[in-house]
Amino acid sequence: MSALETHHLRLAMLPLSDSAPLVVAADQGFFAEEGLDVELRVESSWAAVRDAIQLEQVEAAHLLPLMPLAATLGLDGRPTPMLSALTLNLNGNAISLSRPLFEQMCTLLPEATAHPQRRAEALARVIAARREAGLEPLRLACVHPFSSHHYLLRAWLDAAGIDPDRDVELRVVPPPLMADQVEAGWVDGYCAGAPWNDLGVERGVAVIVCEGYAIWHNAGEKVLGVREQWAERHPNTHHALLRALIRAGHWLDADAEHRLAACRMLIDGGYLALPHSVVEAELHARFVAGEGRDAQRDIHFARFNAQHPWRTHTLWFAAQLYRWGHFDDEIRLREAVERCVRPDIYRAAAHSLGIAAARTELCSLGEHALPHRIDADDGGSLLLGADSLLEGGRFDPSAPFPASRAQKPSRQR
Amino acid sequence: MSVRVLIVDARSERSHTLERALVEAGFEVLMVTDESCDLHGLVERLEPDAVLIDTRLPSRDVLEHLGHINRRYPRPMIVFSREADSALTRQAARAGVSAYVVEGLVPSLVRSLIDVAIESFETHRQLKHELTRARETLNQRRTIDRAKTALMERYGVSEAVAYGQLRKLAMDRRTTVFELAGELLEQLVDTRPRKPGAKSPDGDEGDDR
Repeated sequence: MSALETHHLRLAMLPLSDSAPLVVAADQGFFAEEGLDVELRVESSWAAVRDAIQLEQVEAAHLLPLMPLAATLGLDGRPTPMLSALTLNLNGNAISLSRPLFEQMCTLLPEATAHPQRRAEALARVIAARREAGLEPLRLACVHPFSSHHYLLRAWLDAAGIDPDRDVELRVVPPPLMADQVEAGWVDGYCAGAPWNDLGVERGVAVIVCEGYAIWHNAGEKVLGVREQWAERHPNTHHALLRALIRAGHWLDADAEHRLAACRMLIDGGYLALPHSVVEAELHARFVAGEGRDAQRDIHFARFNAQHPWRTHTLWFAAQLYRWGHFDDEIRLREAVERCVRPDIYRAAAHSLGIAAARTELCSLGEHALPHRIDADDGGSLLLGADSLLEGGRFDPSAPFPASRAQKPSRQR
Repeated sequence: MSVRVLIVDARSERSHTLERALVEAGFEVLMVTDESCDLHGLVERLEPDAVLIDTRLPSRDVLEHLGHINRRYPRPMIVFSREADSALTRQAARAGVSAYVVEGLVPSLVRSLIDVAIESFETHRQLKHELTRARETLNQRRTIDRAKTALMERYGVSEAVAYGQLRKLAMDRRTTVFELAGELLEQLVDTRPRKPGAKSPDGDEGDDR
């Protein structure tokens, strides 16, 4: 690759377990080996990350998968065309409910509560009972309007016949405050990423009722986002940044010791001021337990071809925007997904490291309950993880916006 | 009719300076609060025309959500800022303050609101800086030790780990260990019995970075 257009990069991130690739790339010298001097700017809210990238105070950011699309469409902040050429991880989210609410579910519908897949049914029963008693709707929180957590939570509720706009009150609560707000009784449950569900459990205030994995096996979680204009003007720097982060992802998934080291980097580096046990629960303990079947449920940084920026994944989120009445123009959605998700740029970076990429533009969703192989562009094949959706649901990326969407217009996002 | 403003800031000294400055400039300050309140409920109840919030507070995302669900609620300044206002938006970000305003608010008022906020935040930062230098005393050591002990008790970590976390957090947030320790203690003491706002040291939103 030719000379870098710039060496100094500012990268905005939130301190989360899945910001590990960024922290690892800095700590292990992967950025430096690409000739990059990267300043990690730790922000406290997705709003601050959004402002930083839109005001051009940073060149790249660790983002929720919907954020580049929402910025491009002008839904979030000021209209700013953005793109992502790298998925930073799959999985890691979960839904937690307050202990008293979970106990009520156990009392009302014990047989359903025992099965993770049927817990939402028990929740529906509690909601019906509350309505009869004239009580206020339960309050459930996610982390941001354009978060994967928001739409995973909606999908989980919807599958049990719970209308997320009418039967519950959806709110946003910053993840570090989730456990506190549950304890204070201000919210009854939440969908968030690691380590915030494990913190709720550790504090004894919440119970994890459903892993994000159960809603969507191997859902794309965080992405690396850059402004489209920046990428056009700095192709070589972008390429180098992608290479460093691809290497960081592979490093994280290569060895359990690396996972443990990453936990230490996150804690000792001052990113997550939490007990080791809480951070290790998701990043390390699962990875170690994962020699068997559970390996698939783990947070993946590189395994199962995790880094490929699949348009299918972003289309699923786009379909949720459409499904819930949060954005109505399917043509613009489709165009924006094409523009925002750039497997071509990923492919070039992967190839330069000797890593094969998928030959197809789209992956399946809702068709594989087990890991499966697809064709690679080097003539070999690649292993992808299971891609099941809740209740055997299927998603056709060639027809992502169903004609029959929710009957009523949503009043809340 | 005056513009009704809600202030969200974990530093009482700074927020009260801001409150006074706003009132002097003709704004109505509805309330000064921090993150230990139910911010969602508060905005629903008060329906402010504008919210000024410390950029460092995670609760900004609560305001983002409110701005999406109802047009009555304030939305982030970046949504309204055209190229001409970009400088102001950037300046506010640098000063560490974020503004959320309702649609239709007179642009000159928005500008003056943000100017006042920037000035208060910057003045506070300067004062704080001078104060910090003047306070190289034993008191610092004591505060750091107390914060360290509080962390050890709360999270069951060793002294070395507690101090390491304080030091790294302070470095990352570009503040001194002493300042961070002081704010951490304030939060830990404030939040007994526990209520939201009390949490991990990482949630110590009151700090400069």
